[in-house]
Amino acid sequence: MQLSDRASGLLLAALGAAAAWGGSRLPPVPGQDVGPAAFPMLIGFGLVGCGALIALGIGRGFEAPAADEPAPPGSGWRVLLPPALLLFYVLAAERLGFLPTAFLMVLAAARALGASWRLALPLALLAPPVVHLAFAKLLRVPLPEGLLAAPW
Amino acid sequence: MTTRRLILSATPVLLAAPALAQPRWPVRPVTMLCPWAAGGGTDAVLRIVASQLERELGQPFNVVNRTGGSGVVGHAAISGAAPDGYTLGIITVEIAMLHWQGLTELSFRNFTPLGLMNNDPPGIQVGRDSPHGDARALEAAIKASRPGQLKASGTGQGGIWHLALAGWLGAIGLRGDHVRWVPSNGAAPAMQDLAAGGLDITTNSVPEARAIIEAGRARSLAVMAPARIAAFPNIPTLREATGVDFSTGAWRGIAGPANLPREVVAAMSAALKRIYDGAEYTQFLASRGFGGSWADPDGFATHLAAADRQMGEAMRAAGLVRG
Amino acid sequence: MSDLLEAFRLVMATDVLVAIAASAVYGLVVGSLPGLSATMATALLVPVTFWLSPIAAVATIITASAMAIFSGDIPGALLRIPGTPASAAYTDEAYALTRKGQAELALGAGLWFSAIGGIVGTLSLMLLAPLLAEMALNFSTYEYFWLALLGLMCATLVARSSPVKAIASMLLGLLLACIGMENPAGTPRFTFGVAELLGGIEPIPALVGVFAVSEVMRAMASAEPPKLPRRRFGSILASQWTLTKTYQWPMWRGNFVGIIIGVLPGAGADMAAWVSYAMSKRFSKEPEKFGTGHPEGLVEAGASNNASLASGWVPSLLFGIPGDTITAIAIGVLYMKGLNPGPTLFTERAPAMYALYIIFILANLLMIPLGIVMIRLASRILRAPRAAVMPVILLLCAVGAFATTNSLFAVLMVGAFGCLGFLMERNGFPVAALVLGIVMGSMVEQSFVTSLIKSDGDVMPFFERPVSGVLAALTFGALLWPVLALPWNRRAKPARLKEETP
Repeated sequence: MQLSDRASGLLLAALGAAAAWGGSRLPPVPGQDVGPAAFPMLIGFGLVGCGALIALGIGRGFEAPAADEPAPPGSGWRVLLPPALLLFYVLAAERLGFLPTAFLMVLAAARALGASWRLALPLALLAPPVVHLAFAKLLRVPLPEGLLAAPW
Repeated sequence: MTTRRLILSATPVLLAAPALAQPRWPVRPVTMLCPWAAGGGTDAVLRIVASQLERELGQPFNVVNRTGGSGVVGHAAISGAAPDGYTLGIITVEIAMLHWQGLTELSFRNFTPLGLMNNDPPGIQVGRDSPHGDARALEAAIKASRPGQLKASGTGQGGIWHLALAGWLGAIGLRGDHVRWVPSNGAAPAMQDLAAGGLDITTNSVPEARAIIEAGRARSLAVMAPARIAAFPNIPTLREATGVDFSTGAWRGIAGPANLPREVVAAMSAALKRIYDGAEYTQFLASRGFGGSWADPDGFATHLAAADRQMGEAMRAAGLVRG
Repeated sequence: MSDLLEAFRLVMATDVLVAIAASAVYGLVVGSLPGLSATMATALLVPVTFWLSPIAAVATIITASAMAIFSGDIPGALLRIPGTPASAAYTDEAYALTRKGQAELALGAGLWFSAIGGIVGTLSLMLLAPLLAEMALNFSTYEYFWLALLGLMCATLVARSSPVKAIASMLLGLLLACIGMENPAGTPRFTFGVAELLGGIEPIPALVGVFAVSEVMRAMASAEPPKLPRRRFGSILASQWTLTKTYQWPMWRGNFVGIIIGVLPGAGADMAAWVSYAMSKRFSKEPEKFGTGHPEGLVEAGASNNASLASGWVPSLLFGIPGDTITAIAIGVLYMKGLNPGPTLFTERAPAMYALYIIFILANLLMIPLGIVMIRLASRILRAPRAAVMPVILLLCAVGAFATTNSLFAVLMVGAFGCLGFLMERNGFPVAALVLGIVMGSMVEQSFVTSLIKSDGDVMPFFERPVSGVLAALTFGALLWPVLALPWNRRAKPARLKEETP
């Protein structure tokens, strides 16, 4: 999603204003002259200033000309696939277990990137057990077992 | 959808059922949760206890560091685990403090206490060039100073060592903020600033100050404990040094979620007692300079209630209670 | 002398040598995986060290952390995904070299100058420890405040894009660093009632999100880039000697700055890499080449972050005060093994101390052959189809984030930071500046607020103290630099400006 400088600048300024407002409502702390409110407010005002400068196009001369290749059609939804798959992992890992969740994740990501089934399936079958072996067995990271416990 | 979710969520229960029917505990590995990061003091205590539990009870006790949220996340994970005895953990003094600040609903009532293992009392440290030779002189100097003139540190605002200072000042009849608290990111930076001459006092525990003291950059004048620490026999208690009877400490104990089966409590309590009395744990405490303090499940429960009350009072006095 | 012989005997024990070899491979592999950092690699070793002898335990920590800091450069150079926050400063530079077909130059520079930095840092630890420790102890919160600000200013010096956007990114990072209750007031800020946010935003999930996940997202949106021309991967070390001679002065400056920043508790390798890269660009004869695949900055920053890693052990060993997150873990291991930090470690336990020095040197020497093997293996990834690499990276991001706190919340954070990083990249905001803001944020606020408490609200000590005054002057210089450079830069590029504004 490419925003114009005007839009992204105004967005930042709005965020800065919200931060300054939220910061200003924090209660002071006894024994401290500079309370918890000062820094969020300072940063907030800084963001408002930067946002305004960006919206006005100041500092644009430093930027390298945008070298974005045109996105292939239908890529809009695919961009959101990686974070969506992470969300899927969060929701499903406890229930399904690490191995099935990781299988689905890798399969979906590989297919979305244009892998053939002949590449995607072996990859999705092989990668999760290897990762599980390294993390759960060697490094003792408690990956969830779920429905399908690893054989080791 | 509902049925499928029901089946999915029921499967682990079915698989676990035979284990529950077994009369003996533990029959499979036990997870021990640590609310603080790997490499810290709490992590060290839990790891030594877990390795000994493995020997005592014949099943692996795996330590998992569930960090984040200033200890809230890990404590919540221990209290929220299934009360089957297969997820236990170590709880620390913060559980008696966080709920007073309105940061969590959790309190000691959400846990089954199994054994108090360690208690580190706060020390009173001054820099090498400090004019105060002993705790009595320091106390007199504090009483003679104007409010806010002297500066102390040891941990963040509202942390256990801040409360120790406020409690001590209260015990000598001063306001909790008579000595100004400089928040720091833990004891190490506070000791550094004490050595650099930026602070007058630190009230963190003596083992946290040990390296700097041994380097001759700081001195410990007293410990706020009922008895001297075994590893530091030369440091008097506050009562010996000034006659003021005030003690507190950062304690750590093993606990599980509320309503643990009686057999788990009995087995753990007996095993922890043997570990506490054993040579390895004693040696561990001595080498780290940690203070030992044992209480069985009932005693730990009493200790928790008392600590909760003491912390609540200290935090109210320091103006830290919210809500 | 007998102490030294005893030290050699300690190191040459079979279990120690095996521990060094195994942890070297481990550090190289973990550091090179996107989504895992050097700090994580060290933290995951703690349970293992529990079962080792004292010297072997410390050897694993030393070796693994040194290897992981170097190999964090590998995914940065090959995939534009830095393995550690320390590599984030110069990732774009290294990746640009790779796109020019000079991956071996970029990676070789990372390896060669990491090893040199590590050895020079170790020498400083051996010869100057008491002196450096004295310096570190004289740094008070006033000096830390300027140091932290100076570190932040590097974001604008390093950025290739608009300095306004770089500052905005940095401010956004600082704002994110405000989240949680780990602030001087101990007050929860912007947590919205979420318990997981009380501890604040960790730099690692943020780093993984804005670099690795957003890279996978970009891959989804763009066609597969043209394959690099197929050719033999050249010698890795051949050109390094030329680089060493050409950039001798930046290399020594990097070593020096790394050592100084390393001994200051709380700053660490991340900041050393940023400051050195920024200095390199600022003082270079050809600053316009920076960011286009120019090895000069890699030389200086690569030497700097490994030098700081070694010198970070000075305050840890002498006073038990950790120099960075890695030594914080190491101190725990030292205590657990009865090697309590403090001056007695240098006197009563001298053989053990010398053994640590030997292990440092050994690890940095071992880094060169093992690093070459690792680079050769890793560079095959350039030939692998993107559709096979990216899904595995995504999986590693999830598992790596989970392992930082063992909770799924970190995985959510990584996803959120992925979206943020993608949006920022698309609109010309440098994401590295955001990471720097998150890393440095709490240091700025902590040192400022505590300084004012200590001085009873007086700001003069910020300028009066000698070191503080010098740092203040440097900071204002760096602060005003983009403003002063703005009109000059406009004049220099009139042609391009015309193109952009139709």
